[in-house]
Amino acid sequence: MRVAAVRISQWLLLLLVAWGAFGPGRSAWGDDTYPTRIKPLLRERCYSCHGALKQEAGLRLDTVDLMLRGGDAGPVVVAGSADESELLARVSTADPFDRMPPEHEGELFTAEQVALLRDWIAAGAPAPPDEAPERDPAEHWAFQAIVRPPVPMIEGAANPIDAFIARKHAELGLVPQGEADRLLLLRRLSIDLIGLPPTLEEIADTQGDASPDWYDRAVDRLLDDPRHGERWARHWMDIWRYSDWWGLGEQLRNSQPHIWHWRDWIVEALNADLPYDEMVRSMLAADELYPNDLDRLRASGFLARNYFLFNRHQWMDETVEHVSKAFLGLTTNCAKCHDHKYDPISQADYYRMRAFFEPYHVRLDVVPGEADLGRDGIPRAFDGVPETPTYLFIRGEERNPATSNPLVPDLPEILRFKPLEIEPVVLPVEAWQPERRPWVAEAYRRAALETLEAAEAKLADARGAIDATCRDGADAAGPDETTEEARLTLLVTERNRDAAEAELRSIERRIAAMQAAWDRDDQTDVEEADALAERAVAAAREAARAEREAKVAQARLALAEAELKLARAAEGDREAAGKAVESARAALDEAVKGAEEPGDRFTPLVGAKWTPTRFLNSGQDDPAIPFLPQSTGRRSALADWITDARNPLTARVAVNHVWTRHFGTPLVPTVFDFGRNGQPPTHPDLLDWLAAELIEHDWSLKHLHRLIVRSDAYRRSSGMADAEGNLAIDPDNRFLWRRDPIRIESQAVRDAVLSLAGTLDPGLGGPPVPKAEQEGSARRSLYFFHSNNERNRFLTMFDEALVKECYRRAQSIVPQQALALSNSHLVLDASPRIAARIAGAMADQGHEADDDEAFLRMAFVLILGSEPSDAEAAAGLRAIDDWKALEDSSQDQDSLAFAREQLIWVLLNHTDFVTLR
Amino acid sequence: MLNIPRRPEWPAAPGLVTPSRRSFLSGFASLAIGAMLHRDGVARDGGWAPPDGKPHFAPKAKSVIWLFMNGGVSHMESFDPKPMLTRYGGKTIAETPFADAQDPEKLALERLVVPDGNGNQRNTLYPLQVGYRKHGESGIEVSDWFPHIARHVDRLAIIRSMWTTDSNHGAQTQFHSGRHLNDGDYPNLGAWVHYGLGSLNDNLPQYISIGNREYWNLKDGHYLGPAHDAVPMRVDPDNPLDFGRPERPISDSARSVGIDLLERLHAERLAESPRDAAVAARVASYELAFRMQQSVPEAVDFSQESDETKSLYGLDLPHCREFGMQMLAARRLVERGVRFIQVQHGAGGAGRWDAHGGLRANHEQNALAVDRPIGGLIEDLARRGLLDETLVVFATEFGRTPGSQGSDGRDHHIFGFSVWMAGGGIKGGVVHGATDEIGFHAVEDRHYVTDVHATILKQLGLDSRKLELPGRKRLEVDHGTPIDAIIA
Repeated sequence: MRVAAVRISQWLLLLLVAWGAFGPGRSAWGDDTYPTRIKPLLRERCYSCHGALKQEAGLRLDTVDLMLRGGDAGPVVVAGSADESELLARVSTADPFDRMPPEHEGELFTAEQVALLRDWIAAGAPAPPDEAPERDPAEHWAFQAIVRPPVPMIEGAANPIDAFIARKHAELGLVPQGEADRLLLLRRLSIDLIGLPPTLEEIADTQGDASPDWYDRAVDRLLDDPRHGERWARHWMDIWRYSDWWGLGEQLRNSQPHIWHWRDWIVEALNADLPYDEMVRSMLAADELYPNDLDRLRASGFLARNYFLFNRHQWMDETVEHVSKAFLGLTTNCAKCHDHKYDPISQADYYRMRAFFEPYHVRLDVVPGEADLGRDGIPRAFDGVPETPTYLFIRGEERNPATSNPLVPDLPEILRFKPLEIEPVVLPVEAWQPERRPWVAEAYRRAALETLEAAEAKLADARGAIDATCRDGADAAGPDETTEEARLTLLVTERNRDAAEAELRSIERRIAAMQAAWDRDDQTDVEEADALAERAVAAAREAARAEREAKVAQARLALAEAELKLARAAEGDREAAGKAVESARAALDEAVKGAEEPGDRFTPLVGAKWTPTRFLNSGQDDPAIPFLPQSTGRRSALADWITDARNPLTARVAVNHVWTRHFGTPLVPTVFDFGRNGQPPTHPDLLDWLAAELIEHDWSLKHLHRLIVRSDAYRRSSGMADAEGNLAIDPDNRFLWRRDPIRIESQAVRDAVLSLAGTLDPGLGGPPVPKAEQEGSARRSLYFFHSNNERNRFLTMFDEALVKECYRRAQSIVPQQALALSNSHLVLDASPRIAARIAGAMADQGHEADDDEAFLRMAFVLILGSEPSDAEAAAGLRAIDDWKALEDSSQDQDSLAFAREQLIWVLLNHTDFVTLR
Repeated sequence: MLNIPRRPEWPAAPGLVTPSRRSFLSGFASLAIGAMLHRDGVARDGGWAPPDGKPHFAPKAKSVIWLFMNGGVSHMESFDPKPMLTRYGGKTIAETPFADAQDPEKLALERLVVPDGNGNQRNTLYPLQVGYRKHGESGIEVSDWFPHIARHVDRLAIIRSMWTTDSNHGAQTQFHSGRHLNDGDYPNLGAWVHYGLGSLNDNLPQYISIGNREYWNLKDGHYLGPAHDAVPMRVDPDNPLDFGRPERPISDSARSVGIDLLERLHAERLAESPRDAAVAARVASYELAFRMQQSVPEAVDFSQESDETKSLYGLDLPHCREFGMQMLAARRLVERGVRFIQVQHGAGGAGRWDAHGGLRANHEQNALAVDRPIGGLIEDLARRGLLDETLVVFATEFGRTPGSQGSDGRDHHIFGFSVWMAGGGIKGGVVHGATDEIGFHAVEDRHYVTDVHATILKQLGLDSRKLELPGRKRLEVDHGTPIDAIIA
């Protein structure tokens, strides 16, 4: 309510100012009409064409003076005469050709709005004095080059961050809070940097550390911890829209299977402190920059994630929108149907941006050790349709392409700080003939070998079993059927072995034939060429024969299986089983015939597979897209431009993302809109200084983290004690006189519980934990399968990231969170484990086992990061006694352990547990 | 001024408080968004303030029961019978006097988003698969698959002139938010209501979702924040809520010592930082959570309901028992002061009503499942004097094609379909709008889905323009226009 009161008082102030400016004696309808009602209306409906951005018909409407002056056709407002004012006529006419805003360009004025305008003009179109026109969009702060600002000389501010903040404090008369308590600070730092609270040992070490550099050492330790990559990967995954695949039932419609490789790449890149610019380049264009480096290709999961089975335009729209928002803080998407209303981005610019992505499709590449792309593979981008033209869609409508004017990739003029140079990239042969990668043949060979080994083992078992039967049961020979069944069972295992053997041979021959074909293709010496060509044909024949023989062996196996089924069939099923034998026999005959004249065509091994689309609405997959020896180079050119040190947006946007997650509050509140409709930074110099630091330290994110977390601003207490003065000046703490408490993210809540219980699985990376296995899983939450359709039940309670867009997490407080923390087996199972761990540590620290107060103190420190007050300690001890006295406590465990486990449950439900104070 | 939200005859439910008091749930919500926007300075200028929980003008309805039939109900075989289909059955539309229905200009309304085998033009008219007759004093025609709803036809306002734009089941989200699934995520109607209005009962969540929601995203609040997601509820007194009871055994006495201590510690914390709104909200969230653990199971416990009532909802009939229980639960929730109850019928896959083939068997079975329970709900609400203040909405994402798909199905149809509303200050016994003679195009008083939203908001006393958030510009079409012709 206080917030509302403040807002009302500001409002009143504004009214008073307006009143004062015009003085009394004006008409009774109120002089605030223009600044508060008409100007905002004109800004929304008219300025985009008649303001600083554009001056259609030479007209600007952003000041009353400009309206009176008018455009090419003369004045549009005649003060005191509504009927002579063209502005009024144009917004109120019924004629759609004259009416403003034009059709599809904006909402029409309502009768009420027209009346408001009329009255204001009739009253003489009063304007505030010295009304300033809109500034030139080219002068917008975010479009200016990043220039490292001088650090203010402020006493006591060793870290430049603090100097910038302190200057604001001095200006406003704010007095910052002191440093937070050491244990709280350790918890804050640990959860912030690795997503997990400090352990009892780490707490004890810190408590016993007298040296002043304990904090800096903790920072270094945590930034070097591999769990730092896991923690911050989840933040970037929010921004970069990580999602496991989803669709309808089994049908893949969005994102890609195995997209987790991209997640693992992010974790590894952050741990290795791969420069941010390099990360962005890799995500946008690894296929052009590192075409044969599978590790790096994982990064292009960023683009593979945008795959959408049915509609290319939606896929492209999402790509343009989120590349712009995530890396550039630009709402390019607003220019899809018309020119941007606020920023100098034309509708054509939107489609020029799309043109960078127009050629790309998605494929899965075979990884070493796994030939089956259903089980593993790297989802990645590649340029598959380089010739596809990009058209502007009139009014953004897919059915309305402006086909007479294809657009080429380019950037909005305002941001053309250097010429765009697009050079096609010639790819190494393994990139577009991925079956040449040595691990591909190896993976197939190994899979076939393993199948054969398994088949032989099975056969050995079956033979062993028969020998045993013969030995034991010479006199217990069953009826003929049993004998027949046994014979057929053995036959099936034999045929199975034969089939596996034939398949291995087929694989080997096909590998040889493919190799022979490559030798032929790669041969430049004409003399050799003929011989190689001959050899290739011979090898192809061998491969074709082997493949067909494998089919025969497979058909023999199928026949034996059908016969066995028939032998085992119950009376009623016999007829169907008999028919199955017949068709298996026919299939075998067919296969044998096929093997008689095998020819020289064989199925090549696959090194990568295009992910089929269904854009054509034919009811089946679209025609396959080939892998081409050349890539357009468009995306690497775009990546190069985005990551150029001269780009005014990239570093600022990145710094703001990082800052937001350290402080809970951004420097630029509109984190994905740095344009003219966004909010300006609270600390422009600080933002620029940090951006310059990032660029000049080779885009090192760890450098940025270290700078930020070592600042006094970061280490400040979040308390509001003795801060009446500050609260009066800056109640929302926009100027960082204290630290904002942060409700920790869903993953951090769950991970913290498991970590305190000592059950958290420390393993890094790998395929996501499927939903059905999540309840029992101890893996970090970042590894849980997470898509638009499937999310974890516990995590959703705490504002899980939405996969379509999540530039900032919400920090809601709802009763379902209370239910999840008080009733979930996660928390109920963790409580006794945490209690037991504390009991163990008590002994190490020399406390008596029954020292409840020592237990309570350690529990507070471990779970909440602070010592209990006297009152809290007293209340806790009383509750422990109450629990001990309960009848049911002694049923299956001792009352001491029971009481302590209950106390832990309470502390896990304490507001401070889910808060970074 | 009609029906100010205070009702003396409201049945006593535990902990009922006056409606003017701001709910905890809604309170957190405005705290969450308001605090974030305000702290960041986004909402600093322009006089924006989060809703105060009071209606913008005098409301006629307090609660909404939103019944959504997933998959697309055939309007011709439910609430907009078309004898011409039978008369011209088997002929192509081009051969009938209604050939201009397929004029490409008229078909341009459709936006193709997800091309698949469905959502295509179906040219051969398919005869009506069920009879129909006039009902009530109004004499409105309703198909014979819905006899129990038809009994209350004089309480219904049937809108026969709905249209939408997307011929695939992403239109389910479109009917809830005004935007198709592929346009991104926008708040659902229930979320707007929850955001705008205060609580009628501080012991219960104010926005509850019943029934599966598999096809579309499980969220409702979207940019309004997760505090405005519906709370999913099962009609099972033993386990109605996720995490609604301890997942490991714990005695009440031990739990109660724990809750006391937690309250004590939270009180200490609050005393230490009285200005910390988050701490206060957390404390309140625990209070409500612990109350919900009692009040929610009670709300779905039917042991005090008479056999006659249970039978009214069809609880004694296996084919409609499940939906009947959901309807009875809906009534009990309305009675206890839940603001918005969103019930999904037949979710899963694309939706159970999605009769691309075998329409007759499909709709017959689905109608059997919902007709008696919905009829029972209207009857029961009316008997208890709740219908005047409870708006019941029967909706579906689109209609079905007049032409046949395969030999015995109908495809998705966006150009004209029906929904109805009852209670909450809506006129009874009226038909509003019309489709052409083969049910192809809505031709009179056409309404996009958001007009239904606008009508509901108006009955609840809300102006959706006043709910708009800074930086989240909504278009005219998002707001819709109230259908004043059906408002009493």
